[in-house]
Amino acid sequence: MLGTIFKLTDKLISRIEEWTLFIIVMSALISLFANVVLRYGFNYTLAWSEELVRIVIIYSTFIGASVAIRQGNMIRIDAVVQIFPGMTKGLTLYSHVLMLVFAGIMIYHGYKITHLQLLTHQKTIIMQIPLVIVYAIMPVTGVMVFIRTVQAIFREMRLSE
Amino acid sequence: MQISDVVLLCVLLGCMATYVPVFLCLFFTATIGFVFFLDMPLALLVQTLFRSLDKFSLVVVLFFILCGNIMSRGKTVEKLINMADALVSWMPGGLGMAGVIGCGLFGAISGSTVATVVALGGFMIPALIKNGYDENYTLGLMTTSPNLGIIIPPSISMIFYSMISNQSLEGLFLTGFVPGILIILCVCAYTWIIYRKRTDIKRLPRPSATRLVEIFKEGFWALMLIVIIFGGIFSGMFTANEAAVVASVYAFFVEFFIYKSMGFKDIKEVTVSSAVTSATLLLIVAAATCFGRYLTFENIPNRVAEVVIASIHSPFVFLLAMNILLLVIGMFMDIISATLILGPVFLPLLGPFNVDPMHFGLIMTVNLAIGYCTPPMGVSLYITGALAQRDIIFISKSVMPFLAIQVGVLFFLTYFPGIVLFLPKLLGYY
Repeated sequence: MLGTIFKLTDKLISRIEEWTLFIIVMSALISLFANVVLRYGFNYTLAWSEELVRIVIIYSTFIGASVAIRQGNMIRIDAVVQIFPGMTKGLTLYSHVLMLVFAGIMIYHGYKITHLQLLTHQKTIIMQIPLVIVYAIMPVTGVMVFIRTVQAIFREMRLSE
Repeated sequence: MQISDVVLLCVLLGCMATYVPVFLCLFFTATIGFVFFLDMPLALLVQTLFRSLDKFSLVVVLFFILCGNIMSRGKTVEKLINMADALVSWMPGGLGMAGVIGCGLFGAISGSTVATVVALGGFMIPALIKNGYDENYTLGLMTTSPNLGIIIPPSISMIFYSMISNQSLEGLFLTGFVPGILIILCVCAYTWIIYRKRTDIKRLPRPSATRLVEIFKEGFWALMLIVIIFGGIFSGMFTANEAAVVASVYAFFVEFFIYKSMGFKDIKEVTVSSAVTSATLLLIVAAATCFGRYLTFENIPNRVAEVVIASIHSPFVFLLAMNILLLVIGMFMDIISATLILGPVFLPLLGPFNVDPMHFGLIMTVNLAIGYCTPPMGVSLYITGALAQRDIIFISKSVMPFLAIQVGVLFFLTYFPGIVLFLPKLLGYY
C-alpha cells in the first residue's frame, strides 16, 4: 500500500517537473530566436524576452535541482567513494541529511522573502508579473527538494534490505 | 591566517571529501561563516543564492549544453567523423588521426568533455580496434582527445571564467583555437611516428574526388552549424548568447527535418536532460557566489595575494607554481567547480605578476581539462573504462603519452602569451 502511494507520487512529481522544464525552456528558446529574427528581419525587438528568460533560468535551475536529486546526478567529488566503495551508503545518507537542512533553510527563508514581496506588491518592470510569483519558487523548491530527498532515502533503504 | 579561515577551510574540504554535492559544500561553508564568524543574517545568503541566478548571461550555458546534446543524440557525430576520416584515413595511422580531428570538430559544437567522450568514444573505440590499432593507443587517444571539447570553443568553463573575471567571452573563445589545433597536430604527429612502419594495419586508398564531394555534401548541415556559431559570433552578427540560441534551433531543425533522427519524444527528453545538466552547473554558480560573498567580506583573496606576492618574486616561477597547483587540483576536482572556487582567489594575483587575465583563463581551462584524464579521479578515465570494459589502471597507463603531449602544449602556451592572444588581438576582442 505504502509502496503504491510512493510510486504514484514519484511519477506524478516527475511528470510535473519534466513538463514544466520542457515548456519553460522551449518558451525561452522560441522567444530569444524570435527576437533575433525580428531584429534582422523587421528591425524590431521584443522588450519582454530578456525578462522572460531571466525568470526561466531561475525556475529551470531550481526545478532542475529537484530532478537532479531524483536522478542522483548532482555534481560531487567522488574521490573517497572511489577508493573506499564500502563507505558509499553511509556518505550518501549523510549528504541526504545535509540536503534536508538545505531544504529547511530554503523553505523558511524563502517563505519569508516571498512574504515580503507579497506585502510590497512589487512587479517586474516590463511584463508586470508580481515578484511574489518569481520568488515563490524558493520555498516551493525547498518543499520539492525535501520530498525528493526523503524519497531517495527510502529508496536506498529498501534496496539495502 | 585567522582561526575562522582554518575552520572554514576544514569544513569545505571535509564536505567535499565526504561525497556531499559541490553546491551544498559551498553553501554550507558560507552558511557557517555567515552565522558564526560574521554575525550576518542567513536571509542575506539565501537572497544572494537567488539573485546570482537572476542574470541574463547565464542563458548561454543552458543553450550551448542543449545544442551539444542534440548533436550527440542525432546523426551529426557520425557525419563529422566521416568527414575527418575522408580527410586523413589514407595516411599511416589515419583512423587514429580521424579520431582526434573528429573530437576537434565535435568540440567546435559542444562545450563539454564528458559529452565528447561518450559521443565519440562509443563510436571510435570499436572502429579503431577492429582495424588493428593497439588497445593501449586506442584507449589513450579516445580518453584524452575529448579534452578538445572544452578547449575548443564554445567552452562551458570559459563561459564561467568570463563571468568571474569580466573578460570578453568572445575574446576568451578566440584564445581556444590555437591550443586546440596545436594539440591536434601534436597527436597526429605522434600517431604518424608510431604507425608509419606498421604494415599490419590496413591502409585505405586515397578517396576519389567524387567520394569526397559526396561525403562533404552529406556532412554539409553539420559543418554549417560550426559556421553559424563562429561566423555569427565573430562577424558581430550575434552575441554569444544569441549564437547558442540560433545553434540550438538550427540543430533541432536539422535533426528533425533533414536527418529525421528525432521525434517529438526525443526533443522533449533532450530538452529536459539539458535543463537538468545546466541546473546542476548553475547551482554551483549560485553557491559559489554565496561563498565568494563570504570571501570578500573576510578579504581573503587579498590576504592570499599578499602572502603569495611576499614569497614569489618572478612571473616565471609564479606561472610554474600556478600550473602545478592547478594540475594537482584538477586530479581531484571537476573543471567547473575549480574555476568558480579558485578563479576569484587567483584573479587578484594576476596584476602584480603582469599576467594577462585572458591568457590566464586559457591556461586554467587547458590545465583543468587535463584533469579529466589524470588518475585517480579523472571522469574520462572512468567513462572509457566502462565503454571498453577495462580497469582504471590499464587506462591510466594508456593515457600517459597523450597527457605528456597536452602538458607539453600547456607549458608552451603558458610561457608564450603572444601566441594565445594573437587571435583576440587580430579580431579586436582584446
